[in-house]
Amino acid sequence: MLELRLVQGSLLKKVLESIKDLVNDANFDCSSSGFSLQAMDSSHVALVALLLRSEGFEHYRCDRNMSMGMNLGNMSKMLRCAGNDDIITIKADDGSDTVTFMFESPTQDKISDFEMKLMDIDSEHLGIPEAEYQSIVTMPSSEFARICKDLSGIGDTVVISVTKEGVKFSTRGDIGTANIVCRQNTTVDKPEEATVINMSEPVSLTFALRYMNSFTKATTLSNTVTISLSSELPVVVEYKIAEMGYIRFYLAPKIEDDEDETKPEV
Amino acid sequence: MGIKGLTKLLADNAPKAMKEQKFESYFGRKIAIDASMSIYQFLIVVGRTGTEMLTNEAGEVTSHLQGMFSRTIRLLEAGIKPLYVFDGKPPELKKQELAKRYSKRADATDDLAAAVEDGNKEDIEKYSKRTVKVTKQHNDDCKRLLRLMGVPVVEAPSEAEAQCAVLCKSGKASDQFVYAVASEDMDSLTFGAPRFLRHLMDPSSRKIPVMEFDIAKVLEELNLTMDQFIDLCILSGCDYCDSIRGIGGQTALKLIRQHGSIENILENINKERYQIPEEWPYQEARRLFKEPVALSDEEQVEIKWTAPDEEGLIAFLVNENGFNSDRVAKAIEKIKAAKNKSSQGRLESFFKPTANPSVPIKRKETPQSTAKETANKKAKAGGGRKKK
Repeated sequence: MLELRLVQGSLLKKVLESIKDLVNDANFDCSSSGFSLQAMDSSHVALVALLLRSEGFEHYRCDRNMSMGMNLGNMSKMLRCAGNDDIITIKADDGSDTVTFMFESPTQDKISDFEMKLMDIDSEHLGIPEAEYQSIVTMPSSEFARICKDLSGIGDTVVISVTKEGVKFSTRGDIGTANIVCRQNTTVDKPEEATVINMSEPVSLTFALRYMNSFTKATTLSNTVTISLSSELPVVVEYKIAEMGYIRFYLAPKIEDDEDETKPEV
Repeated sequence: MGIKGLTKLLADNAPKAMKEQKFESYFGRKIAIDASMSIYQFLIVVGRTGTEMLTNEAGEVTSHLQGMFSRTIRLLEAGIKPLYVFDGKPPELKKQELAKRYSKRADATDDLAAAVEDGNKEDIEKYSKRTVKVTKQHNDDCKRLLRLMGVPVVEAPSEAEAQCAVLCKSGKASDQFVYAVASEDMDSLTFGAPRFLRHLMDPSSRKIPVMEFDIAKVLEELNLTMDQFIDLCILSGCDYCDSIRGIGGQTALKLIRQHGSIENILENINKERYQIPEEWPYQEARRLFKEPVALSDEEQVEIKWTAPDEEGLIAFLVNENGFNSDRVAKAIEKIKAAKNKSSQGRLESFFKPTANPSVPIKRKETPQSTAKETANKKAKAGGGRKKK
């Protein structure tokens, strides 16, 4: 038996909107600690990790650990039917092959039930080790989205380099090149407008902008974004979800192709 | 060719072992390709209408070169690292099968001559397909072309599929090694290739997704050991020996599940109903699948992707084989561009798979229901036979 009641239903709507284009089908895992998802895109280049902690739900009941395979496109279709102020409840019975989304309007005068078929999804679960990142950049999420969008008009890849001076986003395309540098800036009126750089070692990595742009769909979830980089690891782009969790996107870097391929140490 | 009816048998009994994949999703992967099979396809498909083939000025066929050149570039552009494995000497046991194919081809040649005389277009098309033969010259041309393109070539001591499977198996532990085998011959699976791809070399215009078979899942779904799977393939009908008349894939699967091995089946089977071939070298065939003649890791020549030899390619394709020089020049640019492009990393090279602790809420289909399904299908098939 599973019953999760989320007062701020719009969060779930936004989460789905931000991942449904990256991942088609995914298993949602429920445990007593929270509602989570881990899924890779079909080419196994990017990974989404979502966590909504149980404390963030008004009511959270999950009797045993279980996973529910859903088509995210279909789930998003159903969640779009919920109003932005609606309370969303996710319900499923043991052994059932459907999940129910219940939407309650704030005034309680309209209650909708949407039942969706579950699917069997054979997905690989990757173990993501806790790592100390060489550089961690926190900046306004809208700024990051703007940069990714702008650069993708010029090139396909972005080089993200972090030095003491700041973080540099650069690209190169047929029409020319572009470089955007964001300096550390903590003297702002609102904390969410700050750009904070925590660097233990300078780092420079290349990524496909197509994926970065897809990640920035989560901009609506949080005012700030945290980008964690290490030279031997995929980048992590993290958006906090209110006080209850996060959505993290992992993206494998582009590798310079030399003959003596060095295997990344894991 | 390969194992009779195995694709259908797997589709019915182990659907989860087959996955449709996008061609593009293999970027960064090293893939061993059964070259002879591809060349054969090229000779049939590329630039052939009836008896007319693409040729150079000297009248020698160049379809295989055209096919090999453009398809390999397509692979390289997708970031795939192909390596081609060529057939060596066929095993003794295959001689019978080869003789059969030879006589079929001879028949087809006669039929073709007749068709040409009659001017029957349909028949010309049908029979000329059947007369296609991959010669040593074709193989040598392709090897030369691939080497000029900087693509590694491996010459198998015996069957190419076997060598491909060994290459793929030996690299199982690290993702840096050969990821999968691409062929159209299902016996790649019998040779134990961990992953086997079909339709990788199909023309992009046909828009057929790549079909990926995973041997571990095949065994899991069929609930067989590898040895039992090999026996199943031999019973279904392989290139190395006859099969028992009246036993197809479905019956073979039932028998293997019931008795466990060919030996036990032979002891228990109704010999009146099923005639076992007098000389049936199934043990020999089994040995060929289990211990294929192939170069092992240590003996292996180094597999390296290098820069293309531009002058060499132009000399070979344009001067010797009458290819359009502009197109070849453009193609060389493509190879170089694909080479220089930094390749996209894959998450699996950084994070390792772990078991997911959660249990699916949805109950998995019980094996019983699948058994029922197949029983139904069988009943239907039986009904069909009666109607005849």
